[in-house]
Amino acid sequence: MISDVSFMNNIDYSMINFKLIIWILSGLALLYIIYPLFSISTFVEPSTLLTSLTRPEVIDTFVLSLITASISTMLIGLFGVPLAYCLSRYKFQGSFLIQIVVIIPLVLPPLASGALLLGVFNPNSELGKTFPEIEFTQSVIGIIIAQTYVASPFMILASMVAFDMVDKSYENIARVLGKKNWHVFIRISLPLAKKGILIGFMMTWIRAIGELGATLMLAYNPHTISIQIYEDNTIGGLSQAIPSIILSIFLSVILILAYSLIVKKLEGSSIHQSMFSFGVSGGNK
Amino acid sequence: MTLEIVNVTKTFPGFTLGPINLRLSDDMILVLIGPTGSGKSTILNLIIGLIKPDTGSIYLDGVDITKVPIESRKIGYSFQNPTLFPHMSVFENIVFGLKKGDKRLKEPQIKRLTESFGISHLLNRKINGLSGGEMQKISLARMLVTEPKIMLMDEPLAHLDNITKNKLRINLRQILKKEGVLGIYVTHFEDDVYALADSVSILTNGQIKKTDTLRTMLSTSSSNNRSLSFLSSSLSPSISEFFQGDYNYLEGKVTESKDGVSAFKLGVHRFEILGDYQIDSKVGVLIKPEDIILSLDLVKTSARNIIRIMVMNIGNAYSKPGILDIHLVIDDIHLMSRITRESKNHLGIKEKEYVYAIFKATAPHVVREGKYDAVDV
Repeated sequence: MISDVSFMNNIDYSMINFKLIIWILSGLALLYIIYPLFSISTFVEPSTLLTSLTRPEVIDTFVLSLITASISTMLIGLFGVPLAYCLSRYKFQGSFLIQIVVIIPLVLPPLASGALLLGVFNPNSELGKTFPEIEFTQSVIGIIIAQTYVASPFMILASMVAFDMVDKSYENIARVLGKKNWHVFIRISLPLAKKGILIGFMMTWIRAIGELGATLMLAYNPHTISIQIYEDNTIGGLSQAIPSIILSIFLSVILILAYSLIVKKLEGSSIHQSMFSFGVSGGNK
Repeated sequence: MTLEIVNVTKTFPGFTLGPINLRLSDDMILVLIGPTGSGKSTILNLIIGLIKPDTGSIYLDGVDITKVPIESRKIGYSFQNPTLFPHMSVFENIVFGLKKGDKRLKEPQIKRLTESFGISHLLNRKINGLSGGEMQKISLARMLVTEPKIMLMDEPLAHLDNITKNKLRINLRQILKKEGVLGIYVTHFEDDVYALADSVSILTNGQIKKTDTLRTMLSTSSSNNRSLSFLSSSLSPSISEFFQGDYNYLEGKVTESKDGVSAFKLGVHRFEILGDYQIDSKVGVLIKPEDIILSLDLVKTSARNIIRIMVMNIGNAYSKPGILDIHLVIDDIHLMSRITRESKNHLGIKEKEYVYAIFKATAPHVVREGKYDAVDV
């Protein structure tokens, strides 16, 4: 280590063009991200692209993904925001353990999450036998179950950090002013944590849209857009999957723009700052 | 209105508060003084309910409120930080504590309080961009508009500049009296005591050493000097460490006011101060010991306040042999002058002899005004 340091000290930095090196490295990194996006043009004829894009199954999967991701996000919000408030405000024995548990779906490979969910919701499980009339697997419900499980940490973590950042003296003053807990939560805690919670909603939705691994295990049918890309590629090769991929890219750009606008309006910070501050990690499957 | 704290204790790692026993009534203002870490804020937090006592009870008008939730206690609390809700306007902040139906009913009270604090013009403003003084006024108005039975104040003026602090402090005492609210004000500044207190409690190491009216404390001071610092030094070394006799306090009735200069009388003695004050109103002023010069003869000077006074006692200031505190007394007036030992030797000042104490009309600093009887001289 000492020799490394002395080696670094012996370099004549004046001989190296700093800007040139930075530009070359940055350019290569950017090329790595952009090139695959444009390479799709080599796989598909522009004349047939429009026909492919309007294929009923492509449109259906796209719409299904949007609807299920929206429902999943709302469900996670309904249960996740109160859980985040609980973890932020009430310190009890084992609360640290719960904080670790809620992150598990984030770090667990989505296929493993799907396998676990399949164990709980398959028709022969206790839950499946108790509610035989409900199709937990291979259904829209199955898609929502998979999405809510995998995407929930984004909502919980973002909201928890947001509640943590609300100065508790605001809540104390509201109580001193005669307001009960519900009033304090609705009028003070929630509005002051609004920015972080909205970012949580956005990130959860983005994650739910792109969900594949757990859905693959729990609800292969009906197809979401991710499953459609997976199946088209498996059966007909990359050119077959292109229309869904293009729609996904289109949706990603819209989502990133919307997210960026919300972040800019609420936070005054850049999209990257807010993503890092809420611990977003990549990786889907 | 009566607040009673009976045998209340609270233990934290390395610190125990109490047992605290305190009884306050009517619209008095108690100033709770003590060094940092003596437990002043903890007492307020116990009264408001932010922390629960280990033992003992707190009674409000005879009702045990120890287990009553914060929101039902009807006690106001003002923190050092104004804690205004940043997502609301000034008006929304002020009416936050009111019930929906009350907002219309309490319009006259909102108007009166915002006018008293001089914040009427700010009602539609957002919180961003307000000055510290404005924010603290809004915070106090927000509490008082809910008509609390008691107002707890944890050094709410500590972060303000001296001019704003002094104006707001005078304003605050007048408003508390006008609204008839019992107040407890926590501080470690000596001038806050003179400016606000009807009664004073001295707290050290989690124990209340003494509680009495300011008037009694001043008149029974062990060194017979009208300054709390001497009382404090006789009680506890830790108090005297932060109350080093930084002020003389005089209070009297305004007899003349013209062209920005007023005069007030204290017994047969007349003092001139800067500012226009209402005739027959009372003013309380602080004078720094450093601002009082001594002379053996009656000299012609531009200073407007000259009083022949007896040297009561000569002692070291700040425990430094080169600086002396000369304690002076005439009738009911007690003053302290801070001079160097060299000056004292040069003039040949001796105890029990008479000197002239001289200070300019610009030296006194008004900290109380209006009609009040707490330290009626």
